[in-house]
Amino acid sequence: MFEFHRLTIKELRPEIGGAATSVTFDLPAGASESFSWEAGQHVTLRFDLNGAEQRRSYTVSNPPGAPLRITVKREKGGLVSNHIATALSPGDQIEVALPFGRFVLAPDRPARRTHYFFGAGSGITPLFAMIHAVLSDEPHSVAHLIFGNRSADEILFREELDQLAALHPDRFSLRHTLSAPKLLSWFSLWRSGRLDADAVRAAIGETPPVAQDVQYWICGPGAMNGDVKSALMGVDVPANRIHMESFGGAQELDSSVTGCAATLRLHLPSGSHDIPVEEGQTLLAAIRSNGLSVPFSCQSGVCGACRARISDGTVHMRNRMALEDSDIGKGEILSCQSVAQTEWLEVDFRS
Amino acid sequence: MTKMYHRLPVEAYTSQEWFDREQQLIFSRSWRYAGLREDLPEPGHYLSVQAGLNNIFIVMGRDHRLRAFHNICRHRGTQLIRAVGKTQKALTCPYHDWTYDLEGNLISVPDEESEYPGGLDKGCLGLKPASVDIWRGMLFVHPDADAPTLAEWFGEVEPLLGPHNPAELVEYPEARRSYEIKANWKIVVENYIDVYHLSHLHSNTLHMYDHARAEYGWKGPHYHFWEPPAPDYAKELEKNLPSPRVIPEPHVGAWVPMLFPGIGLGASEDSWNIFVITPLGPDLTRIENRTKLADVSAWEFTKQEWRSAGFWQGFGGPKYSGEDAAGEEDPMASGDFTSEDIYACEQQQKSLTSPYLEIGPAAVGESPITHHQQAVLDFMALQAKATADNV
Repeated sequence: MFEFHRLTIKELRPEIGGAATSVTFDLPAGASESFSWEAGQHVTLRFDLNGAEQRRSYTVSNPPGAPLRITVKREKGGLVSNHIATALSPGDQIEVALPFGRFVLAPDRPARRTHYFFGAGSGITPLFAMIHAVLSDEPHSVAHLIFGNRSADEILFREELDQLAALHPDRFSLRHTLSAPKLLSWFSLWRSGRLDADAVRAAIGETPPVAQDVQYWICGPGAMNGDVKSALMGVDVPANRIHMESFGGAQELDSSVTGCAATLRLHLPSGSHDIPVEEGQTLLAAIRSNGLSVPFSCQSGVCGACRARISDGTVHMRNRMALEDSDIGKGEILSCQSVAQTEWLEVDFRS
Repeated sequence: MTKMYHRLPVEAYTSQEWFDREQQLIFSRSWRYAGLREDLPEPGHYLSVQAGLNNIFIVMGRDHRLRAFHNICRHRGTQLIRAVGKTQKALTCPYHDWTYDLEGNLISVPDEESEYPGGLDKGCLGLKPASVDIWRGMLFVHPDADAPTLAEWFGEVEPLLGPHNPAELVEYPEARRSYEIKANWKIVVENYIDVYHLSHLHSNTLHMYDHARAEYGWKGPHYHFWEPPAPDYAKELEKNLPSPRVIPEPHVGAWVPMLFPGIGLGASEDSWNIFVITPLGPDLTRIENRTKLADVSAWEFTKQEWRSAGFWQGFGGPKYSGEDAAGEEDPMASGDFTSEDIYACEQQQKSLTSPYLEIGPAAVGESPITHHQQAVLDFMALQAKATADNV
């Protein structure tokens, strides 16, 4: 599943004045089935830049059934995002792994749901695919998007979203918040300021749910995600209705804890192994340096490909974006982010 | 031999046993109307509704989402809440003050340590959830927390209910009525969907619509009906409508569906009405009527009333008058189609226990009646089978 395929770039399109790039791929005949995705899933790209392997996960920004497309925001000094924006041309080939990820909205035709989407910046990419999926494949459901950006010029998919709103006036509402709006602008924004607790409460109060199976989807930088989630929990939204993925912006890495040296008992589908883990080494790094292979992809704690279940010992995770609290309660860990806290660990990769 | 009324035995309309089975297999197993959306205007508001054997309450949380629970304290079964009201964050049973949050979790038991020295697992004593949803401006509940969605239940019939958007209309409080009819609930449904009677019982009350051109049929157990305005009425329809339009031109006509079980709607160019049927006993049925009109100023209503006065002045009147009428109280002299219908239902129910009763053949315009009887049989058979399969 995490093996890479060489895909040809069909189209490169600059977005928001070149601050982001949409890349559309040509799928070779016969590959479209294995490259099918659910709204919200991402793909990992692998590059060889300056002699080193670089992996990044990017959300598929098109709904299922449309051409495979990712949208990459250029990060200042970002090695890969700038490479994509400046060094690639249509016809080039890139290594891409099959789509995966658990931040997924699976449309359900007979369902009758109210979906609230809270997004900021490039966090719109999975939400955009999800909104499309709801509008086309969940005909009895409605979607409300509350979208935060710095200024109107930085709104990804602005025209596409306007078109969706015009096409589905009864089923899709679109509200923009801008934290630094330009004073003289024709842009009609809903509120100024950050997408915070007040904005969340105001949005729900203005468009309370009609269909009572209500789902909340949050995708933006870590701080916004936390704010929106606590605002929702603050008005008694049950946690199992909140779906979240962290995206863009600085993720807070908790590197305060250095791991200790440990022995790791590893359960793989192929068998069990006892391997050493060095002080400060992640479990994934230890596994790979012992010549063993487990699934992994983004190596930044976002994608969740390297998840495993710990049954003995404790680890510290520097980042755990891909895991919900309930996952952690079940003992799930991200091996690419985990350093040992006890000298004996037992971890299972088999499920 | 069992005496039949078309597809159903006559006792289906008279016996307590049939009534009990219908309560169990129909009204406790289907989506039940619970009110209009505006009955729960803001967080904390709640109401309760009887749905067959189940009493279910709906409460709006601070996230504006509705929650529905069976109105039964998990302690000794006492009903937790009464009718309608407002709470902040919690619901307390009056009997021993067991308290639940709006997610149904049992959060407090008075004197817990001394009364339950062996401990009490509050996590297993939450309220039992039910389903709730809003559809066409109406609240619906279902006793089963995993009920099929309203889209599955009403999806097919919905496009045939008219272009109305009830959520945009405002209630006309004077038209809200609740009354009892001394007849079985199916007699009332059959009266509602009987196309044949429109030109006869209501010969002088509903003739602004053209019954001969009615279009009707079924989607599953749900009946749909539409008829165009009669030529006289249609000639200057915009002038003749008694109140401002609730649907855009060029839509015209009356949509009068009967959703299963016993949820009647009646919508026209200028109003939207509900006619909710609740069985109270084998020969007693409660009706709840509510009406919504256009959300426009009183002045707009006055103007439309003046414009249409010419048409309505000479329109209609009693079916019987003068010597034919049995005094001033005779429903047949009322000139009111609802009074005519109630009268007909009660007069029919009276005969159902007579040894000499023998039902005549069903007319073409009565085909909805036999179809509804079949829908009742089919739904009960399906639910009885589901029960048997689960045992």
